[in-house]
Amino acid sequence: MTKENVIEIHNLRKTYDKGKIKALNGIDLEIKKGEFISIMGPSGSGKSTLLNMIGALDRAEEGTIKVAGINLMKTRDLSEFRSQEIGFVFQMHNLVPNLSVLENVEIPMYETRVKSEEMRRRALELLEAVGLKDKADKNPTKLSGGERQRVAIARALVNHPSIILADEPTGALDSKTGDVILNLLKSLHSKEQVTLVMVTHEPYVAEMADRILHVLDGKINNSS
Amino acid sequence: MSFFTLMIKNPFRNRTRATLAIIGIAIGIATIVALGMVTGGLQSSTQSTLKAGSAEITVTKIGSGNFGSSGGILDESLVTDLKNTNGVKDTAGILRVNSNVSTPSGGSGFGSMGGFLVNGIDSSKLALVGIDSVNGTIFTNGSSNEIIIGKTVAQNLNKTVGSTIDIYGTEFEVTGIFESGNFIYDTGAFTSLSTLQNLTNNTGKVSYIQVKVNDNANASQVSKTIQDEHPNDLSATTAVDLANRINQSLGMIDTASWAISLLAIVIGGVGVINTMIMSVFERTREIGVLKAVGWKDRRILGMILGESIILTLVAAVVGIILGIVAVEIIFKFFITSQSFEAVLTMDTLLKAFGVALLVGIVGGLYPAYRASRLAPTEALRYE
Repeated sequence: MTKENVIEIHNLRKTYDKGKIKALNGIDLEIKKGEFISIMGPSGSGKSTLLNMIGALDRAEEGTIKVAGINLMKTRDLSEFRSQEIGFVFQMHNLVPNLSVLENVEIPMYETRVKSEEMRRRALELLEAVGLKDKADKNPTKLSGGERQRVAIARALVNHPSIILADEPTGALDSKTGDVILNLLKSLHSKEQVTLVMVTHEPYVAEMADRILHVLDGKINNSS
Repeated sequence: MSFFTLMIKNPFRNRTRATLAIIGIAIGIATIVALGMVTGGLQSSTQSTLKAGSAEITVTKIGSGNFGSSGGILDESLVTDLKNTNGVKDTAGILRVNSNVSTPSGGSGFGSMGGFLVNGIDSSKLALVGIDSVNGTIFTNGSSNEIIIGKTVAQNLNKTVGSTIDIYGTEFEVTGIFESGNFIYDTGAFTSLSTLQNLTNNTGKVSYIQVKVNDNANASQVSKTIQDEHPNDLSATTAVDLANRINQSLGMIDTASWAISLLAIVIGGVGVINTMIMSVFERTREIGVLKAVGWKDRRILGMILGESIILTLVAAVVGIILGIVAVEIIFKFFITSQSFEAVLTMDTLLKAFGVALLVGIVGGLYPAYRASRLAPTEALRYE
């Protein structure tokens, strides 16, 4: 049985600087549910812009984009979509410094109707999955770079999203720590049956994916 | 962790900045509280003239002011005349003279204005001037030179029961000390009417007459009747009228207090805007992340606005404590003769918290709006 598409993009266009910079220049893309996709390309090719479009952090000017059954071009308030369907992992972990590790993982659940006790239970469960349960009450500034990124991964998964979008998740880490993070992402991807879309510069990282997309000048150059 | 806990934690991330903002607002709140306490104290002193049991109407000679001039200017026979007026329960003639006993320097209030006032009254009529109880005993009517003094006079002159005071060359023994709650009386003394009349050559004369009306009578109506019956001689003022007149003067202090409140709102508001804008700037990336994980614009707006209000409410608590301490210090060390006490009323507290809340909303609204409108991609790129 063929899997259904979780992301469907047709002729997606986005410009910056009053049309002078064509960040996305007619993207066509389909990603199936549960797929692990790597997006590669030089700086400024449009790969992060594409990721932002899928995650509804930005809006395109032309084309169609449907993610998890929702037409992002026609939906006005996309915050609920982001909360329910998307989990972001950034290059910089972007944790809130004055909150504990546990509280950082709880943050995405404020927009859901989950009670405090359930929030705590779910966050601890995920921290256990990323091997940081014992550091739940620590401040993120006391953690290493790899540990912080693991917290960010737990935060991305806490609302059980259908898609994880990772923008160079190992970019700020040494190769050994980077491998730990990649293995974690990969195992969570298979365990949670979640679609994983990852932007990376590193070919060996990209090769871990089911499919690699090469983006150049705002277009998908080839797919391998 | 609840959303509310998060809002409480955030304003104190930069402790120095939060402390400075709190101090700025707290000074404004402290000023409001201090002025409110002084106004409240004066108002409660005024209202105590209305206490139950005391006379409701003060009758003076026309043109002599609310409490009459010193010296005997009314014929004592009027005291009996007025008692026969319809609706009157009791009357008391009072002779008021200045003691010429100077109080220690540095004092202020009625008690220090070149001596205190000595009132002559029949000892059985003391309830009409609000003196229900005396620490010691009351003076006896007739020729004995006995006197009771107000607590403020006792403090200023350092007199106790058994001390003596020289008035017009005659030594009076202090038999009691009273506290009527009326700051005008508490800064004076009472003795036998006939003794004072004889001593000051005012035989058969009084300065003013206190009138108590029947329980079922209307004080304003009785007051009007008295004036109608003595159109050319007497002026009758009810205690309510008097309190209202004093309150009108207090209204000026109140207006000044409101002007300061307004200033506090403007200055505090600008301070809060500055603090919160700095905070939003520093947390731009963080706000981007919150949007990325699905926070709605209105939750971000609520968070920043909530942080701003928490900051100002903390400032309100600090300001109220600061204001109370300041007033206590001023009254303890700089106002030695306390003719009234500062009173912290619920109104003042509500006003302090109301102003703080307003400053929090006014100051937090723009930064909160700005934060809620941040584009997530730009916020996430912010260095």
